[in-house]
Amino acid sequence: MTLLKKLTPILGLLLMAQTALAAPQRYHLQTDLSSVGFETDFGPDKITGTMPIRTADLTLDFAHVAASKVTVTLDAAGSQASFPFAAQAMRGPKVLNTAEFPEISFVSTSVVPQDQGATVAGNITIRGVTQPASFHAEIWRQQGTVAGDLSHLTIRLTGAVLRSQFGAVGWSDMVGDEVRLDILARIERAN
Amino acid sequence: MLRNDATHFGLVSRLIHWAMAALILSLLVLGTQLKTMQPGLANLWLYGLHKSLGLTALVLVAVRLVWHRISPPPAPIGPPRAWENRLAKAVHRLTYALLILIPLAGWAYASATGLDILFANRWVIPPIAPVSEAWENAAHLAHSVLTKILMGVLALHVLGALRRGIEGDGTLDRMIGG
Repeated sequence: MTLLKKLTPILGLLLMAQTALAAPQRYHLQTDLSSVGFETDFGPDKITGTMPIRTADLTLDFAHVAASKVTVTLDAAGSQASFPFAAQAMRGPKVLNTAEFPEISFVSTSVVPQDQGATVAGNITIRGVTQPASFHAEIWRQQGTVAGDLSHLTIRLTGAVLRSQFGAVGWSDMVGDEVRLDILARIERAN
Repeated sequence: MLRNDATHFGLVSRLIHWAMAALILSLLVLGTQLKTMQPGLANLWLYGLHKSLGLTALVLVAVRLVWHRISPPPAPIGPPRAWENRLAKAVHRLTYALLILIPLAGWAYASATGLDILFANRWVIPPIAPVSEAWENAAHLAHSVLTKILMGVLALHVLGALRRGIEGDGTLDRMIGG
């Protein structure tokens, strides 16, 4: 995050680039440079972990941010947690049931500019159950790019879901219901 | 003397008896604690400890039963048909049954959660039940109910032993000193 803080949040950057990029731009995920962090409560402690991003397709419209679209698929079966039992429990049938539902997907339905970022609302599907969810989005130019170069961007989506809404109720006497997500996707513009 | 004879418990039987007594007491205290404490990273290891001690108790019961085949324990002191001896025999048999069934139910419960069962935080123990919520609930219920019955049976065992100790018939002495 330190690196990101050094970079200029995009919305201002996007506004500057409006004239240069009037048409929606399609971006692909840089898988190796992207990750999803999650966190939930475990008694007085936290369980933290990561989940690989399998795919991400983004269409960013810098002139009309509301027309932007985000689709992200996460590899739930590849998730890791801060201690082995947590990862096993999370992937097991009582929580994510990754044997049957190996992916988590999010498809945006609206993007609303807000402060220095945007609110991305959409539908998230976990364990085959689809529920509305919204994330706060911030976007930056990647390190090493020059002002106005929007070919490589970093997008951060933060938000939370209640796992009980998706039937992921295992160990609810021990582990919190709210799962906080922090998706860091590095993307490059499609040619 | 390691082996039992017609009137005395040998060292092996006594060691197994008192080791199991200590184990069972630890398991009861630990199990009760696990039910009431708020789980966290600092106390997560206690669940593993409970499982390891429970499996150890199961092994010790098996060892004890085998040892009593090899070296039969002495007969109870006093008339065999006296009500105390008949009750003591029933309590012993029920205790053995419970000491086998309770760890098995715990093992099945842990298996049904789908999480690895580690012995001594090192060796993975194979599951004995399918990963299933129905199995998990049933095995947990069995583990809990049978443990409560064991508490009652052990209370009878201890009271009976103390009564014999107070009366000085030698039953308690031969389990302590041989």
